[in-house]
Amino acid sequence: MINLLLAGVGGQGTVLAAKVLAKAAQAKGWQVRTAETIGMAQRGGSVTSHVRMGSCGEEVLAPLVTKGTADVVIAFEPGEAARALPFLAPEGVLVSATSAIQPVTAALAGTPYSGSAVVEQLGRSLEGSGVLFVPVDDQALVQAAGNRKALNMMLLAVAVAQNRIPISLDELKAAVEACVKPQFVAMNLTAIDLAAASC
Amino acid sequence: MTIKLLMGNEAFAWAALEAGVNVVAGYPGTPSSELVETVARLHAEGTARGVHVEWSTNEKAALEVAAAASYCGARALFTCKQVGLNVASDALMSLNYVGTGGGLVLFVADDPGPISSQTEQDTRRFAAFAKVPVLDPSTPEEGYAMMRQAFELSERYGTPVIVRPTTRICHASTFFELPEFTDARPIPEQGFQKDPKWIIFPKRAFEGHGEVNRRLARIAWDYAFTPEFAQFNHVVEEPGSQQLAAGSDANATWVEAAAQSGHGHGGTAMPRGKVATSGESDVLAAADSNEGAAARVGIVAGGVSAQYAREALALLQQWAAEAGAALPPYRFLAVGTPYPFPAETGARFAEGLTDVLVLEELDSVLEEELLKLAGQRHLPLRVSGKLTGEAPDRGENSTEVLAQRIARFFDRTAAADTAPSEGGRATATEASAMAGGTEDQGASCAAKDGAGNAPAPSGLSALTERNLAASASAPYEGPLPVRPPVLCAGCPHRGSFFAIKKALGKTPAVFCGDIGCYTLGNAKPLDAVDTCLCMGAGITMAQGFAVAQPGIKAVAFVGDSTFFASGMTGIANAAYNGHDITIAVLDNATTAMTGSQPHPGTGVTLMGQRRKPLVIEEVLRALGVECITFANPHNLEESTEAARQAIGFSGPSAIIFRAPCIQLKRPEAPVAINGDACTGCKKCIRDIGCPAIGFNPAAEGLRSQHRGQAFVDTGLCDGCGLCVQVCPFDSIQGKVAEPLGAALHAALGVPIAPTAIPSDGPTGSFPPVIFEGETPAEAEEDIDD
Repeated sequence: MINLLLAGVGGQGTVLAAKVLAKAAQAKGWQVRTAETIGMAQRGGSVTSHVRMGSCGEEVLAPLVTKGTADVVIAFEPGEAARALPFLAPEGVLVSATSAIQPVTAALAGTPYSGSAVVEQLGRSLEGSGVLFVPVDDQALVQAAGNRKALNMMLLAVAVAQNRIPISLDELKAAVEACVKPQFVAMNLTAIDLAAASC
Repeated sequence: MTIKLLMGNEAFAWAALEAGVNVVAGYPGTPSSELVETVARLHAEGTARGVHVEWSTNEKAALEVAAAASYCGARALFTCKQVGLNVASDALMSLNYVGTGGGLVLFVADDPGPISSQTEQDTRRFAAFAKVPVLDPSTPEEGYAMMRQAFELSERYGTPVIVRPTTRICHASTFFELPEFTDARPIPEQGFQKDPKWIIFPKRAFEGHGEVNRRLARIAWDYAFTPEFAQFNHVVEEPGSQQLAAGSDANATWVEAAAQSGHGHGGTAMPRGKVATSGESDVLAAADSNEGAAARVGIVAGGVSAQYAREALALLQQWAAEAGAALPPYRFLAVGTPYPFPAETGARFAEGLTDVLVLEELDSVLEEELLKLAGQRHLPLRVSGKLTGEAPDRGENSTEVLAQRIARFFDRTAAADTAPSEGGRATATEASAMAGGTEDQGASCAAKDGAGNAPAPSGLSALTERNLAASASAPYEGPLPVRPPVLCAGCPHRGSFFAIKKALGKTPAVFCGDIGCYTLGNAKPLDAVDTCLCMGAGITMAQGFAVAQPGIKAVAFVGDSTFFASGMTGIANAAYNGHDITIAVLDNATTAMTGSQPHPGTGVTLMGQRRKPLVIEEVLRALGVECITFANPHNLEESTEAARQAIGFSGPSAIIFRAPCIQLKRPEAPVAINGDACTGCKKCIRDIGCPAIGFNPAAEGLRSQHRGQAFVDTGLCDGCGLCVQVCPFDSIQGKVAEPLGAALHAALGVPIAPTAIPSDGPTGSFPPVIFEGETPAEAEEDIDD
């Protein structure tokens, strides 16, 4: 069983990322279930997508990842990475974008929360644990790719490049080709290569 | 056949189409909306042939459309979310007495949590109240099978049938094998047969009630024995590989086991044991043949909780095995047909059991059925669940929570086995103590579990807690910002709320909100929603405020879709009874919250034809509203003036704030903050709270010195320009939206003549709603890509 959790802010593209992962798993002949946050939270609230793959031929029962069992958590925002931490397995991988998205409440309070402080704190608290923490300089990646919309695919590429789940970069690319509209395939594949090369 | 990843709601749509559904009608509401959208997309692309699909103005309209189609012999599908059934309930209650013709299925999606709803009402309960059979899937695959059988059941008995998934079924995806095309079933040539039975007079109601009662008894039997329906109820006998030692050693075993337990867990597996659908009569024989390991305890689960429970049991089994022990023998019943409850299945399941734990979301429906069964058949059965505080009383279930609850249950029943004086069953005193009530969510119920008993033994519970704790990462230490949903950057509602508040100034006012994205106007700093009750309530509640507290200005906010769904009767009431209220119509040309569905004001239909849009101001005028003003909510000056005039009018008045939802248009160029001019006063943040504006305390500038400065997230900014108009120092640069138009200005504050409204008036003249055969997921792809 492979459990993945995608965590982000409504509008960041977790739904499509989950779809791509599901497609990659299906191409390998695995049973797969995903569960999405759809509704009010999509208006800038915290959202998660759960992806569960029966990688050893087992039946996937529940739609949601059990706490403490996510092999990979892919966070699109550092605060959301911290919020998703209870889902991560002891030997899991945490991939997290490092730039913060400020909630209105933080701006109102005049005390913006610091993405880098959260990343540092995450690094400290995970130090010595079995967790592999992979902070991703998403600003740099987005700049290199020239398109912010490909961030979701770039984070998937970084996650796959850690070699902790039996899905290869080529398999990820094939899934992207199957899931996104033809006119956006090339852009997404280039972004994936860029992100993988940065690891 | 092709294999596709489908969201549960898409799978339900396919199943209905494969069942030959002729008419699909619904009203959007999370988590139900994607079903109708999928049917419309498949119809538009030519895959679904012969089907009629529509968004009706509200749920009542949709059900009545579907009912009449069914009278003609058509297969009809109605869709809504749980609170939508409240709106359609008047039709449903009588419809059930009258009966149906072609298969009529009500797809009603419940929302445990609730995640996007006003209530946690349970449609299984509603089904029982309305005396309508209900099916409750545990996975999208089962839901797909149920949808097809629901049409069969409906036609077999002439009854409406409810299919009730929950959010985690509706919005969970998995792969399905799909046909290339679907065809609607031909509608019988004879069509509607006139007959007194379709007319609900009291005499007919008395007859109909008898028919309902008789068919419910037959359906309960079908659910228990007829394979095509009984397949949705599963009984599993789990012998357990190693029995716990009897007597007090049992506790010792668990304590030792817990001490030896290792960390982590690998893959899960289905509990071993014989799986049988309840239609098979050899279940108990199998149980009896389990070499003395006959279960005395049982677990009942319904809906998605059956999947959580299965996974939790597999985890418990694994943890126990790692600790060199095993679970006690137990029997597991998954119920997919909760009403009418298949009592015979329940009785076969309960035979020989002393204790049952019921796991379900929302209400204690199955738990009460088990209690009823125990009473009717004098079973020596103690039933535990929500009513005894042994299962969470509300909210969503999860694998980990159910693992904890099942572990406690096994511990308690094992302990009861060791106390011979109690004979393994609750005494009357205990039972009444345990029935005391429900627990607070999140609070441990460990103490309550044993109310009246000795403290619960800690064996399996301790092992479970230990394993859950071992696998949990250290929690993040440090503050994290709360991240509630907010109005999007560039949302026209922001300007509408702000203008109303600006126009009112210090005038005391109450803001009656309604259902839609604009409920989010409650958040600070807008703080412009004081009440929110149900669809359409804002307009009528404002009238109650106006009557009871005439000194306070009552303002109602209503979206364009809600206006047509349930706002109009309230407006007629205001005009008829002369209530002094102001209605702010937030017309963004779509049903935004549920994913940009069209409505009567857009003229866009799901069948492809464009209709003449219903014009909101014409409706207002026809309903007797004499003062109607207009504004582009992105233009602050026009908006404030329009609000001022309407608010100043004595009697019912309306302001139409008109600008499309940001999902329907391309963004304008983002605004920019001039670092030399920004003083760091934060007025932009404190006034309008746009998510695209943040504050950087470290930024320094000529005028802000060390106070910090506002900054714009250009990736989020939609370029609406509201902040440009709010900044007192002209330090935000960007385009300010044009006023709505001089033609409409001319009518400000005076009765508008119908001729003053352009025939291709602003309603419906926005770019068409995102609906070119796209599901919301695909629409999002566009945004993502």
